[in-house]
Amino acid sequence: MKRAVGRGALASQLPNRALFWQCVFLLGFGLCWILAAKNMPVYIIPGPRAVALDILQFVTTPALRSSALASLFHVCIAVFLAFVLGGVLASIAERFPIFRALIHHRISPFFNAFSGIGWALLAVLWFGVSQLTVVFTVAVVLLPFSLINIREGLASLDRETLEMARSFSQRPLRTARLVLVPLLLPFLIAALRISFGVGWKVALTAELLAGDRGLGYVMNIAMQEQDTTRVIAISLIIVVFVRVVDKYGFERIQRKLSTAFRSA
Amino acid sequence: MSSAATLRLAFTENRIANFGLIAIIAAWWLWSQNLPEFVLPGPVTVGRRMAELAVDPTFLRHLALSLARIAVALTVAMLLGAALALLPFYRPGSRYVVERVNLPFFNSFPSIGWVLLATIWFGVSETTVIFIQVAILLPFCLINVAEGVRVLDAEALELGHSFTRRRTRVFFRIVMPSLVPFFVGALRISYGVAWKIALLAELFGARDGVGYVMLQAQIAADSTTVLATCFFIVLLFVLGDRLVIQALATRFGEART
Repeated sequence: MKRAVGRGALASQLPNRALFWQCVFLLGFGLCWILAAKNMPVYIIPGPRAVALDILQFVTTPALRSSALASLFHVCIAVFLAFVLGGVLASIAERFPIFRALIHHRISPFFNAFSGIGWALLAVLWFGVSQLTVVFTVAVVLLPFSLINIREGLASLDRETLEMARSFSQRPLRTARLVLVPLLLPFLIAALRISFGVGWKVALTAELLAGDRGLGYVMNIAMQEQDTTRVIAISLIIVVFVRVVDKYGFERIQRKLSTAFRSA
Repeated sequence: MSSAATLRLAFTENRIANFGLIAIIAAWWLWSQNLPEFVLPGPVTVGRRMAELAVDPTFLRHLALSLARIAVALTVAMLLGAALALLPFYRPGSRYVVERVNLPFFNSFPSIGWVLLATIWFGVSETTVIFIQVAILLPFCLINVAEGVRVLDAEALELGHSFTRRRTRVFFRIVMPSLVPFFVGALRISYGVAWKIALLAELFGARDGVGYVMLQAQIAADSTTVLATCFFIVLLFVLGDRLVIQALATRFGEART
């Protein structure tokens, strides 16, 4: 029988040592950064102070704030579109099994393997430099993620439970609301969680190549002006924002769902 | 369902999948008829361009270069990921730093951020391309190998330690072999991601490679070449996955997290 590795289990009994490592790492990282910034020109490595001040700019300057909101808007719309389209495709494959191979073995792997940059470059040729291009690129890249996750959810549905629900009520909307959606919910949330994380990365790239607003666009200008401080500031804003939404948004919801199901 | 019925269903499914594919290509062809070629070239034009590119030595050189960069980046990312994943195994206190600080950081750092920083730091060079790819691939390798380290069989390790006091011996005889399936899993995921970001890295950090070819085509509004290159990459990706990684998975087993 397998059990947790002894050394690993020890870690939880040694909070002091973990704290020590954490301090060593953060101090070392901070020191390296400060030293590197001291010896390098600002356009190569800006110091932590300059980056922190630049991050503050995103709170205080309305133009930068609206760029951040534009990116958020792009990501949300694209996640929604990919989610709906993925849901529709997965449902068709589930409802009409003869389309299963077409959807899961032809369409899904194709979208999975097609490069995001390819979509971005094509979208510029098709729709020009616009918000539509950005949303299209992100949505197309996210489609396989939604499709695969929703498919897993549909595949894990308990047929007996669904049959029981149908025998209790003839109204399909009611069975969907009371049985189908609650059973699918963990997978839907997982699909949204992954899409949201990946979506940000793709959105920045798409905005940089093809956008006329958003954080990626701001990054593009920063790059042309050799403003490394801003590039690092935007990257760190994304890291913190994505982490916070993931930890305090999606993770909480998932935990709540799993406890709700366990108590049920 | 009887086995004959299942077989029949699978057969119909497959036939519909192939017909569907043909229908999609036909729809593409129909649609492209009414659009200029620089907007949407038809499937025949793209197919012809793919055939031209397949025998074009310059394009093949670009392709080989991209492939070589991916191979180097994958190797470096795997080694670094494995080293980071093994650190908590030998120094348990470092687990938090590795799994709760480093991993999420690399995981959520936007790829384009790495691209721009690397271009500023190293200019247009091989280092830039490799650096970008390694930085983006690192979390994928780390997650998988760390999972392997977490489920290492304590009994087997204890047995190993009772046979020898040499740590290197335990490492090569027990730790490494147990981790191999996780390496294969990491390789599969990273390989898929690598192709996508190779383009991104070469778009900014190189004057050659497939990403550069694509950028040039896009600047020249040559949709045909952009599409042909994209399909080439899909093809290469599938081939590499089926021929190399599937073979490794069959030989050594695969564990994915």
